Amino acid sequence: MGKLHLLSALRIKGINVVAAADKSEKNRKYVEKYHVRTYDDYHKLIDAEKLDAVIVSLPNFLKKEGVFCATDNKLDIFLDKPLARNFAEAQEIVHKVKKENVRLMVGVNYRYFPSVQKLKSNLDDGRIGDAVIATSELILNGPLSHSVVPTPVPEWWLSKEMAGGGALLDLGYHLVDILSWMFGDLEIAYSNLGYTLNLPVEDAGTVMLESKNHGTTCVVNVGWFSKSIFPDFNFRISINGTVGYDSTDRYAPRDLRVHAVKEGTLNFLRRILKRKMHYLSYTYYYSSFFHVLELFFEALRQGAELPVSLEEQLDVIRIIDSVYRQQGVK
Amino acid sequence: MAKVVLASLKKKNFADDDIEEGVERAIDRLDFDFRDDIQNVVIKPNLCYYWNYSTGETTDPRVVSAVIDYVRDKVGNDASIAVAEADASAMKTKYSFRVLGYDKLCQAKKVKLENLSEGNIVDVKIDVSGKEIVLPINEILLNADLIVNVPKLKTHNFVGFTCSLKNMFGAISKPRKYSYHEMISHVIVGVNKIVRSDIIVVDGIVCRGSHPKKLGAIITGDDSLATDFIAAKIAGFNPKRIQHLTMAKNEKIGHINNIELIEDYVKLKEIKKNFPSRKYSIHKFSWKMQLRMLKMYARLTGDVIPPILSENSA
Repeated sequence: MGKLHLLSALRIKGINVVAAADKSEKNRKYVEKYHVRTYDDYHKLIDAEKLDAVIVSLPNFLKKEGVFCATDNKLDIFLDKPLARNFAEAQEIVHKVKKENVRLMVGVNYRYFPSVQKLKSNLDDGRIGDAVIATSELILNGPLSHSVVPTPVPEWWLSKEMAGGGALLDLGYHLVDILSWMFGDLEIAYSNLGYTLNLPVEDAGTVMLESKNHGTTCVVNVGWFSKSIFPDFNFRISINGTVGYDSTDRYAPRDLRVHAVKEGTLNFLRRILKRKMHYLSYTYYYSSFFHVLELFFEALRQGAELPVSLEEQLDVIRIIDSVYRQQGVK
Repeated sequence: MAKVVLASLKKKNFADDDIEEGVERAIDRLDFDFRDDIQNVVIKPNLCYYWNYSTGETTDPRVVSAVIDYVRDKVGNDASIAVAEADASAMKTKYSFRVLGYDKLCQAKKVKLENLSEGNIVDVKIDVSGKEIVLPINEILLNADLIVNVPKLKTHNFVGFTCSLKNMFGAISKPRKYSYHEMISHVIVGVNKIVRSDIIVVDGIVCRGSHPKKLGAIITGDDSLATDFIAAKIAGFNPKRIQHLTMAKNEKIGHINNIELIEDYVKLKEIKKNFPSRKYSIHKFSWKMQLRMLKMYARLTGDVIPPILSENSA
C-alpha cells in the first residue's frame, strides 16, 4: 500500500514528496526510481528531513509506534485503516494525537467510491425516505488475494496479536465506517464470526447494528473466504427506505474492463486538453485511495477540518472491538 | 504399454462415500502391482494455493483420504505413508495444510504430513533436452518406494494445461518456484525425470477451466505422461501441442502412443464435452495485451499503474 500512496502523492499538486523509509532494500530501490530519498528506518528519516506531514503505511502491530514517532515530531499524519488493533490502542493513539496537537486522518477510502458517494447523496436528499434496513457486503480474498507476481501472504495478517483481527477488522472496518457515517451512533444487536479457513483469525463475520439516531437496522457481512482476483470486486451497500430501495450496485460499473477503457479514454482527453486528471479512475477501486489522500493534503494546505474525524474512527474500532469481546476472541 | 482409467462417480451426489467408492474403483481398475517390499509411500496432492477444492484449484482431501485407505490396505500397517507438498512462491504449507483441511485429514488417518521445503534437501543435476538444470529435491521423495501423484484437473496460466507432470513441479523444494517460469517446461520434465510417479490419481471431481465445474471424474494411470495425455484431451487441448508433454515424450518419461484406455461408467468424449474449456492462447494473448496497453496508457497520460499489477514492483 505504501507504494501506491507514493505514486499517488507524487501526482498531488502542491505536495513535495521528499523521502520514504522501508526496511526492504528492494522497496527502497523501487522508490529511488522516482528521485525520492530513502532510509532503512523511519526514525532516521524523521531526524534527517524537514517535513510537514507523513503517510504511515505500516502493519497493524507497528502503527502505534509509527504514529507516536510522528506526533513526537509534531508531524500531521495520514494513516492507513484500521486506526489501531483494538479500542484501547486506538484510545492511546487519539490521546497522544490530541496531546501533541497534530492532525491525523485515517484513509477510509471506501467512503470515496463514486457509488458510495452517490448513495449517500440520495439518502441525504430524501430520495429513499427514512432508511429502515441497510445491508452491506464485502466478501473477497483479503490478504489471501493472488497478485500478478506471486508473493507470500505477510504472516502478520494471520496473527491475532499482530493484526488485531481478521476479516472483520480488515474489511468490516470499511463497512462499519460507512454505515456509521451514514446513520450515526451504532450499537451491536447481533454478531457472529466464522472460521471456515481454519486460520488463527476469523475469515467471515456477520454483525447486525442498530442506529440510535435513525432507527435503522444495519447488517455487515464480510469474508476472506471467496476466491477473487482483481478486478473482481464483491462490495455493495443497499438501503431499503420508506420511499424505496437504492444500492451502490446501481452506480458501480457493471463491467470493470469496459469502465477501464472509458475512463482511460477520458483521462487521455483530459491530458490533451490540460484538464485535471482523474488518477486511477480506470481501476475504479484504486481511485478512492488517491482521492482520500488528496483530500487529506487539501485540508492540511487550507487549514480546514479533516474530512474524516478521529472520533468517528474511534467509534468504528469500539464497535469492532465489542464484537470480538462478545465472541470471546482474545 | 501404459494404462489409464477414466472413471465417473456412480451416484454423482459428490458425497464422501460417493467419492471414496469412485477413487477405489478407479485405482482398482489399474491392476497396479504393489510390490511386497514397499516401506515408504509418498502421496503428493496439488496444494498450490489457499483456495480449496471447490474452486477447482487444489486437490480434494477426500480424494487423498480414499487414496490413503486404498494404499494402506495394499501395503499394510507397517509401511510409512506421508502426504507431502512444498512451499510455493505465494503459498506456505504451514497455512495451506490447515486451510485446505490436510492437517485434520492426516491426523485422522495417522499418516505424516510433510513440508518438502524443509528437512534434507539434495541438489540434483539433470539434463533435459540438452540443458543441464539443478533442482533441489527432498530426500523424502528420493527415498520413496511408492509415489502416488494426486493432481487436480485444471488449466494453468503459464503452461495452459496442468496435471500430474506439472504437479511434481510443486514438489521441488525451493519455495520461490516462480523463478523457474522462464524455462518451466524444462523444469517440469526435469523433476519428473528425477522423481517418477508410480500411480497417478487425478482429481476431476471439481475441475477448473474457464470456471470451476462439478465434473465427477477420476482419472488414474500408471504413467504420468499417458495420464496427462488423456487428461489434456479432456480439457480440450491438443496434447501434442503442449510443450512439456512433447518434451517429456522426447525424454522418454512415458508413453503417448501405446495407451490402454479403460472407460469406467463414462466415455472420454462425454467428459470432454462437460469440461469448461477455455482458449488458453487467447487468454494469454489478451492478458499480455492488456498489460501492454496499460503501460502505454500510463506513459501517455502520466496515470498510475497500481503496484499489484506491475510486475516490476514485486
